[in-house]
Amino acid sequence: MTDSNMHAAGTTMTRATRYGIASLALYFLLYFFEDSVLEFTSRGGWYFIAPVVIAFVFSYFHGAFTSYFWDTLGIKAKK
Amino acid sequence: MELTTATNFIPLDALDVTYLLVVGFIGGLVSGFIGSGGAFVLTPAMMSMGVPGIVAVASNICHKFPKALVGAIKRAKYGQVDVRLGIVVGVSAEAGVLYGAHIQEIIHSSFGDAGSNLYVSLAFVIVLGIIGSYVLWDAMKTRRATGDEPEKVSRIARWVQSVHIPGTMVYFKSLDARVSVLFTIPLGFATGMLAATIAVGGFIGVPAMHYILGAPALMASATELVTAFVMGLGGTIKFSWSGLVDIRLAMIILAGSLFGVQLGAIGTTYVKAHMIKLVMGTIMVLVLFSRALAIPVYLSELELIDTLDPHLSSALLNISFVVLIAALASGAAIVFAALWRGISASRREIALAGTAFAPDVVATPASPQLSPLGRFERFLLATDGSEYSAGAVREALRMAGKCGARVRAISVVTGGDTELYAMGEQLITKELNTARAHLDDVQRQASAAGVACESEATQSNQVYQEIAAQAEKMQADLIVMGRRGRHGLARLMVGPSTVRVIGHARCNVLVVPRAAELVGRRFIVASDGSRYGDAAAVTAARLAKLCHTPITVVSVTRPEHSKERKREAHQIVGRIVSFLKQEGVVVEGIVPHGRPDEVIVQTANAKNSDLIILGSRGRTGLERVLLGGTSERVIDQARCAVLAVKSA
Repeated sequence: MTDSNMHAAGTTMTRATRYGIASLALYFLLYFFEDSVLEFTSRGGWYFIAPVVIAFVFSYFHGAFTSYFWDTLGIKAKK
Repeated sequence: MELTTATNFIPLDALDVTYLLVVGFIGGLVSGFIGSGGAFVLTPAMMSMGVPGIVAVASNICHKFPKALVGAIKRAKYGQVDVRLGIVVGVSAEAGVLYGAHIQEIIHSSFGDAGSNLYVSLAFVIVLGIIGSYVLWDAMKTRRATGDEPEKVSRIARWVQSVHIPGTMVYFKSLDARVSVLFTIPLGFATGMLAATIAVGGFIGVPAMHYILGAPALMASATELVTAFVMGLGGTIKFSWSGLVDIRLAMIILAGSLFGVQLGAIGTTYVKAHMIKLVMGTIMVLVLFSRALAIPVYLSELELIDTLDPHLSSALLNISFVVLIAALASGAAIVFAALWRGISASRREIALAGTAFAPDVVATPASPQLSPLGRFERFLLATDGSEYSAGAVREALRMAGKCGARVRAISVVTGGDTELYAMGEQLITKELNTARAHLDDVQRQASAAGVACESEATQSNQVYQEIAAQAEKMQADLIVMGRRGRHGLARLMVGPSTVRVIGHARCNVLVVPRAAELVGRRFIVASDGSRYGDAAAVTAARLAKLCHTPITVVSVTRPEHSKERKREAHQIVGRIVSFLKQEGVVVEGIVPHGRPDEVIVQTANAKNSDLIILGSRGRTGLERVLLGGTSERVIDQARCAVLAVKSA
């Protein structure tokens, strides 16, 4: 049982790291291409799709990261 | 970040980014906890940085829908989300969002930023003033009154649920009732309009779902996240069509808020419903003061009142900002405190329950004889007709057939209070008729199985007390009931009621998950050497002989236990194994290590067992919390049926 708990903890940590790196990469891209991204997403009209897609992509990677992050710290829901 | 050329978008420095991350985190924490509310902090926060009101609202909505999506998925895992209600309210809220955004744009183009700011602030003050004070008052009232009682449905919600308009009725699981969409559409519209104005439609949505439709506060707050996602997506499309979304602001806030929303959602699993209202009400009232202080400044800028002294304007805005910080700090502090208390209490309970089930020092029984127990002649079957009770009905009749027992099937409808009865007479009568129809069906099944069965549909405020009283009245040997109801009547019938029935009943209680089958493959008997474990062993012997079933006896030790304690565990198992062998039962004994509830459930799964038999220690209140935690968790986690044996 102890082994399986340690294994689960290890898996959570690995996933947190993987999604954390992906999330960090996305924010770096946003920082480095700030002006271009802002200009592209604020064109209006059919370009409305750009902020929506960006929001979905960020929420997928960063959402998974934050979930695993609290799991790694042992902060979990009451069963 | 560097200065941008777009006129609507302000330059951001490191301090701004840090500020947005922190505010985003706290906003997310609040949203995850109460279903909405991050935005009432975030919109003014962005405005205080110099972001025009409309861009603040647009960017906020753009961060809101992905945050709501993540929060809704998280809370759906805890069974708190009513997706259908969220979507129905969300779709009608879209119309409100479009209309609200249209008004915003007109105000912005006619009166500029000051007009837009004034409109947003006024909306805050009016909405938060009315609803915020009511929510806070109700939270205080509920906090004083609440014990372990289930939430009461408001009078207006009872009325709304009793109105039947043909062709418009939709069933919602959070309400466990059919409600006309003619009620949900205006509520959704108002929610959406407010969301497009101040980006916090939830301040209408959550109270409306709770007070007007009758959803439990926890479910209302979780369902609001679905609504927020639907209308947030619509709002984002609307605003970004006009190029008003500042994607940098939205994503920076999202970075902080997703940490918060996860934590807030986790927090809801540790608190009672009134905490949701307390947090919501407190924050609403404080933000109301904050925005009210800023209104004279905007009025002055629009020259609607005499021009204010620059020092006075500055002071008002500063005080407004301080109060806003206080609102932020208060909300976050309440959520953190609730989370901390909840986690600490849960850990203490686990530690105490584990220790109690496998104590360091085992009291050796004075007599080697086991207590006489294990009669199965009269069964009380508690059913509500839901899928959660299906297993209980099936197995109660099967077992009664084997034991030659008589069965009394009951179905308890909540709402015995005279006043409530007057309000929802139609509803209760309808529920009673449904219950009777179901019981007739049970009687038919019993008759087909050759089991003597009588039935009764009754009405009571406290389901568990009624079940325990009925069992006492008929001198039942066994109560059979289901497990894991998640909402409405089903939840009251077989959710928390299951544990309470075990606490209050004097006889044994068999809890049957809907998919469990009691065919006699193998029984697991868990014992700690106490008289409770002995009672479980005696009952197991009786059942095993009836069903010709082998038994595995388990006594769990924890890794930290002394060698002496572990040796005693082997003695306990040996003693019960010899008793069962004498009774002619095929038996094996094991002494595994670990957390008792987990090990017992794992053993049952590994042995493909169809019944776990446990001695039930606690009765009610503190005693149950201290002593009965292991049984409760086994019942909650086991895939097979669990028999809680009461010691004489």
